[in-house]
Amino acid sequence: MIKESYKETDERELVKASLDGDKKAFGEIVNLYQKMVARTVKGMLGDSVFAEDIGQEVFIKLYHSLSEFRGEAKLSTYIQKIAVNLSLNEIKRRKRFFSMFSQRGNNEMYEFEIPDYDTEERKDASEIVNKALLAMSPKFRIILTMRMLQGYSTKETAEILDLPLGTVLSRLSRAQEELRIILKKI
Amino acid sequence: MDPSEIKKILFSSLKSETDTREVPGFLEKEGVSYSFSPDFGEKVLNKLFSAGLTINREVEFIRSMNFAFYRIALTGVAAIVLLIISIFLMDGSLSLNSFLGLSDNYDESIVCLLTGN
Repeated sequence: MIKESYKETDERELVKASLDGDKKAFGEIVNLYQKMVARTVKGMLGDSVFAEDIGQEVFIKLYHSLSEFRGEAKLSTYIQKIAVNLSLNEIKRRKRFFSMFSQRGNNEMYEFEIPDYDTEERKDASEIVNKALLAMSPKFRIILTMRMLQGYSTKETAEILDLPLGTVLSRLSRAQEELRIILKKI
Repeated sequence: MDPSEIKKILFSSLKSETDTREVPGFLEKEGVSYSFSPDFGEKVLNKLFSAGLTINREVEFIRSMNFAFYRIALTGVAAIVLLIISIFLMDGSLSLNSFLGLSDNYDESIVCLLTGN
């Protein structure tokens, strides 16, 4: 399991130190959680340079809202929520932007760059996952990202997405139907 | 790994009864990993503590401009290609005169145009 979870006391100390102006402490938070954010943001937006910009915005937003973090939830959950919101906002922004220039209207503009891999086998696995993710509609893509790339349970997914458990379960079921169609084409 | 196995993992991730905790690690072994550039942390700290918040807006603006430029450039290239094809179809060549609109019957046609004959 890759999912990052650190001792709450460590998290609180890092947050407190960051709020006191300790840049190294905040740098430590960035190092601890950047991979987790990369999985969410790149899972949602594709492996592009824009995803990295959004990743940076996640931590900038975190820094400016650290004083609002009350420690009731895990810091990782708090960061995930920011990453999810910014990724969904970016998807909406792209949709609006491209609809101004194209006749595709509400259809989403999907873009992804497949990075270089050591072997053809790895390239295949990565290609399949990237293509499947980016072909899904955002509301299902976020659920697949949380479950597959972050390893969250249905309950944790519901908590991060601020959705009732029933809604997540229903989306899981509908996402399966969509994924089945997508996987046939890949 | 067999692509069908990856597809199976993808699909099972969406089943509520699946325990997905092991899935990310498994996919990472198969090369499905996501990370930022090595200097990501440094960039974040620089943005926060060196340049101030205005950079955020600048980044947003530059990103929008990049998208706009990409779309405009593609449209421009398509227009140029169409223009070249239409010149070739009308004049049968891609000579400098064809590009300038100075074909062989230019003098006659301009005289006809001016005299109305």
